[in-house]
Amino acid sequence: MSAVITVQTLTKQYRYARRRTGALGAITGAFAPDFQTIEAVAGVSFEIAAGERVAIIGPNGAGKSTTLKMLSGVLEPSSGQARVFGLVPWRERRALAYRIGVVFGQRSQLWGELPARDSFALLRRIYDQDETAFAARLGRLVEQFGLGELLDQPVSRMSLGQRMRCEITASLLHGPDLLFLDEPTIGLDITAKAAIRDFITEHARGQGQTVVLTSHDTRDIELVCDRVIVINQGRIVVDQPTDQLRRQFLARKRVTLQSAAPRITLDLPGLTVLPSQPHTSVLDVDTRLVRVEQVIAAALAGGGIEDITIEDPPMEEVVREIYLATTGA
Amino acid sequence: MASALQALRMGALGALAGWPVLVGRAIFYLVALAVLSALWGKVASERLAGALPLPAGGLALYVGATEWIMLSIPSIHLRLEDDIRSGALETHLLRPKLYLVLRIAESLGDMLVRLATLGLAALGLLALSGRSAPAEGLACLAASAILGGVIGLLLYTLVGLSGFWVRRTLPAYLVIQKLMFLLGGLFAPVSLYTSAAFRRLSEASPFAAQLYWPSVQLIAPSAAVFARALALQAAWIAVLSLAAAAIWRAGVRKLLRQGI
Amino acid sequence: MGGVLSTYPLQAAAAIRASLADRTNFLLQMGGMAVNNGFFLALWVLFFAGFRSVGGWGAADMALLLGLIMTIVGISGVAFGGYRDMAGTILSGEIDALLTQPKPVLGRLLSRDSLPSAWGDLVVGLVILVGFGRLSWVQAPLALGALACGLVVYLSAATAFASLAFWARGARSFARDLTDFLILFSSYPGSIFSGASKLVVYTLMPAGFIVLAPVRLLRAPGLGAAGVVVGAAVVYALITLAVFQLGLARYRRGLTPTSG
Repeated sequence: MSAVITVQTLTKQYRYARRRTGALGAITGAFAPDFQTIEAVAGVSFEIAAGERVAIIGPNGAGKSTTLKMLSGVLEPSSGQARVFGLVPWRERRALAYRIGVVFGQRSQLWGELPARDSFALLRRIYDQDETAFAARLGRLVEQFGLGELLDQPVSRMSLGQRMRCEITASLLHGPDLLFLDEPTIGLDITAKAAIRDFITEHARGQGQTVVLTSHDTRDIELVCDRVIVINQGRIVVDQPTDQLRRQFLARKRVTLQSAAPRITLDLPGLTVLPSQPHTSVLDVDTRLVRVEQVIAAALAGGGIEDITIEDPPMEEVVREIYLATTGA
Repeated sequence: MASALQALRMGALGALAGWPVLVGRAIFYLVALAVLSALWGKVASERLAGALPLPAGGLALYVGATEWIMLSIPSIHLRLEDDIRSGALETHLLRPKLYLVLRIAESLGDMLVRLATLGLAALGLLALSGRSAPAEGLACLAASAILGGVIGLLLYTLVGLSGFWVRRTLPAYLVIQKLMFLLGGLFAPVSLYTSAAFRRLSEASPFAAQLYWPSVQLIAPSAAVFARALALQAAWIAVLSLAAAAIWRAGVRKLLRQGI
Repeated sequence: MGGVLSTYPLQAAAAIRASLADRTNFLLQMGGMAVNNGFFLALWVLFFAGFRSVGGWGAADMALLLGLIMTIVGISGVAFGGYRDMAGTILSGEIDALLTQPKPVLGRLLSRDSLPSAWGDLVVGLVILVGFGRLSWVQAPLALGALACGLVVYLSAATAFASLAFWARGARSFARDLTDFLILFSSYPGSIFSGASKLVVYTLMPAGFIVLAPVRLLRAPGLGAAGVVVGAAVVYALITLAVFQLGLARYRRGLTPTSG
């Protein structure tokens, strides 16, 4: 398959003036700023083929969003090259705009006070879309995404999950071949996240669309993407198929048990007990060796359990583990 | 009393902490003053036939004084509106000290800091402009400007208390503010009004006690004017305080009876 | 360019519909501003009743000037309302999404908001222009042209102020203050400005080109006066486009201190 995106040693440095405190500091700072440079993206290279669905994951501040902004033409890199559909994004921003759809999870491109339908109509004109083709595409998306009743509701009265469905629909209305999603599931509850994931997967498969998304939620990757790029402190630490990564690193859950007894001991394989307060046991579960149900069944069988929580390990930890594994440290 | 003093101190410290806002306000004051004194300078230099006579030295000093008082009065009505709207007032009502007194004291502290800052800015401009102001006029102005500010604050308090009955205090605020312009003589002394009835009405109004009476002492200082200003101001402070207390009581009664 | 012209009216219409969503708030803000402007006009009526004229400016000239500036601020707020808090929009990082779309960013920014209070400016401005500006109907085309040019200069200056946000984080309130000063300078008879203040109103605070030159053109039409009005509009628009593009380029290099 041909590459839709090629990126070579792309870097982005931000320079910012460190703030001094107090009135005097503000004045001296205005004349002699104390500049600091941070490398948000430090020489990343990768290729993405047509139809691939790729997740860029990493902790906050790892450089995910900066990379996405450079690929969508918003931001100019400090050095390095990138091509999207053969275009240099930051130089041929407008030509590229017609071929990509972008969602920034923390910002809205819809008018809050107006029905989503009005914003969609405006986007048709912004992307110079033909009316009939547009109507057909909107109809399909409305059906796929179950937006029927939402369409005539002011966006400000929607739940976050409903709004995000409309945001994604808005980014697909001009039929882009490539979709960039920056933290599309941020702040959503589990059901809303699932709805978004299902939609992206289904839609992208159906249309053969290329999808690049960023997230710090490991489950987004598993369900939506074929390939994962893990980025930390501006560098790529892992770039491999999701299956492989899952087997290696995403096979862990964290089970927290509140109990009457100060400690609980379970005799099962694949369990690591993490340090915690008395009456709370935090277990790291390797799901390749033992299923979470088994762990919980065993704990309940022991009696005296008051509360159970099951979570994914924090992203920072997953990344640290990947990082340690790949650098061999 | 001790709690009111503490609230006043908090208000003053709060105003000082927001020093960029104070600087911005001072700049706005100076620019407005530059424009208004240019206007009155032009009018005074022309002396057209049939035009009203202006006091010697023009109106720059007068307008400097009215704007000084006007820009020093904090928007207490917005605080009151917020507290009434948000229900924060109900928690305050549980406390032993009177909420309204504390809020006014706090705003008073804020106002004193503003008066001092803008006053210094005005004195600086005065020194630079080469104009002179009568020393006794400045002293009288300083004393009655504070009272004038209190009257303004009480008027805004009444505006804020309208929040017990209407959703937004903005309409009441706009009306009061425009009355300050018109009857208070913000841009020109009310003594210039050609209609005698309108002039007398203005002079007796609380708006003139707030702006005109303190400021007129810079262009026509006299013991008689000072005494009259103080008497009017004391009377209006008493009347407005009683009105505020009565409206407050009625508002709280409504709040306790119906909620908001 | 064609792209802008075809989509701008749609975007502005959407903004206006959004501003109408809360009917009560809309009417309150519009009415409040209309009353506010009415009072302002009343003050000037009183002023001219007392002083006849200022440096050759009579009541009708002042009405023409007030009508022009109110109408300009009104049209700006209704159809280009995004200008008012453009600095805030830039600083919040909201233009990222606009940059991923094919239409020019500046048009999107100007059309993202419509201010209810601006209708109050627009209505009162037009009433003053037609009722008190002492213009004949023959002059209507010329008046529209002068108004359009003043509008371009006003929006250009306000946009240039907002563009400061590309360079400095504190630009949000600063840009707003500068725009308020621009309105203030545009609300007084031009004859009061001389020396340094005249230099300012024909450069950094172009009240001179927003209202003074258009008033001169309408009172004494001529090619020279028309040239000044049109030329100023072209020059200010070009300067602003250059400043905005420079700022946007800076933003796209990641040098703007956004909070996003």
